[in-house]
Amino acid sequence: MASCTVVYTTTTQSLNKNCSFSSKSHLGFHHQKHLVFYKRSSSKRGSPCVITCGAAAGDQTLVIGLAADSGCGKSTFMRRLTSVFGGRAEPPKGGNPDSNTLISDTTTVICLDDYHSLDRTGRKEKGVTALDPRANDFDLMYEQVKAIKDGIAVQKPIYNHVTGLLDPPELIKPPKILVIEGLHPMFDSRVRELLDFSIYLDISNEVKFAWKIQRDMAERGHSLESIKASIEARKPDFDAFIDPQKQYADAVIEVLPTQLIADDNEGKVLRVRLIQKEGVKHFSPVYLFDEGSTISWVPCGRKLTCSYPGIKFSYGPETYYGHEVSVVEMDGQFDRLDELIYIESHLSNLSSKFYGEVTQQMLKHSDFPGSNNGTGLFQTIIGLKIRDLYEQIVASRVEAPVGAAKA
Amino acid sequence: MATMAGVSLSSPRVLFSASESQRAHTVKFPVLLSQTSLSRFGSGRMIAVRRVRAAPERISEKVEESIKKAEETCSDDPASGECAAAWDEVEELSAAASHARDRKKETSDPLENYCQDNPETKECRTYDN
Repeated sequence: MASCTVVYTTTTQSLNKNCSFSSKSHLGFHHQKHLVFYKRSSSKRGSPCVITCGAAAGDQTLVIGLAADSGCGKSTFMRRLTSVFGGRAEPPKGGNPDSNTLISDTTTVICLDDYHSLDRTGRKEKGVTALDPRANDFDLMYEQVKAIKDGIAVQKPIYNHVTGLLDPPELIKPPKILVIEGLHPMFDSRVRELLDFSIYLDISNEVKFAWKIQRDMAERGHSLESIKASIEARKPDFDAFIDPQKQYADAVIEVLPTQLIADDNEGKVLRVRLIQKEGVKHFSPVYLFDEGSTISWVPCGRKLTCSYPGIKFSYGPETYYGHEVSVVEMDGQFDRLDELIYIESHLSNLSSKFYGEVTQQMLKHSDFPGSNNGTGLFQTIIGLKIRDLYEQIVASRVEAPVGAAKA
Repeated sequence: MATMAGVSLSSPRVLFSASESQRAHTVKFPVLLSQTSLSRFGSGRMIAVRRVRAAPERISEKVEESIKKAEETCSDDPASGECAAAWDEVEELSAAASHARDRKKETSDPLENYCQDNPETKECRTYDN
């Protein structure tokens, strides 16, 4: 049954008498419909009135945070994640063509660069990078993510990465799942509190360098020196403001050079570690063979033939920033389907809906970067875990009496 | 006097402006969620401007320029905030250029795009013989 609430989002909490509205019970696909009226007057500040009609209390938006540096695979991860939920994530139709937002049936992905408080010129004048908290408006970020979580649509600014300017805002309606991705999803403690699940992509310096060479070398004006200079110039701010966020993440995907080839620095073969926090509600870590044991596994041998340099897995409990974690590690890469399905069949707690779902997802996007190694495998698994988390939370809300979720 | 932005009650898609207290620029240019956006020019006439995404080539030029500028800025003081900000701009533009290239690849063939997501459908089958 639909219920409507009127929300006044002003600093003055008084009821605005000039606010006229008509509400309508509307339960379409989006779980919340709203009408927003805005009054402007020359003498005093206008007060927007937001009328929200939601399907009882059961449909609060799930908020996921994804943190990583620029050029470290956030976009690919987002494509894998939205694919697990079904449907394609696309930019808002008819909006700003430089919008950073992606929308699918269930999920909306917003880029936190949109909360830059300083545009490119402003940062240049003040001599701060985008990694610096001073270049970002955490108050607005918090207000808007909280509003969306509470079922209220917001007008989110758009940071235009081409022009370096803040474009006119776009309307973001509360989706079932909201992903906030960018440099600082776990930086501000208020925003962090809003996250139902958080992920940090931790790319080692060697691999970051290799990836950026791959990305930029074809670009005119770039050279090994310029790529190196850019990474080094940004590193102090990265270390100060981005890297520390990983201690708050529920899952960290660490990407390192392989140990299967001695002194490898090509960055083609990767050792990837999935660090999963223990004790997170609705999230039970994936494990290999025997939960809680320490295991080292080379699947290649008599039963399975792998190509050079082979594949090696390990699993075990560890401590990460004072937290108990379970770590699954994969070194090497898949060259054939039978290698992938063989490995999937030995992993437990995958939250897949049928046997081979991980393999199917990986094959479906075999053209994405990392589809033959641990980055693709663990991103896909995290996608399944988030789907599971969402389904568990929805199920628990159905069981809980209506109204219990209301604060 | 209160004025209201164009609101259609029958449509769930509603135009509104964010609170003035939040951001000045959000109020100046309310954006309609449609293919075209209207810009008001000096004469007061409304002119429809179709907004298009920047082509990868144009971003490439900007990348090249930004690298030159960063090298200049850093020759004075490589440890300065200005130097870091200049290289940060290079990173931002390089990432934008890479995304633009990916998008161009992605959208060049609609059938290809469809089949990426629906490889099992009839129109996406490929036959060896």
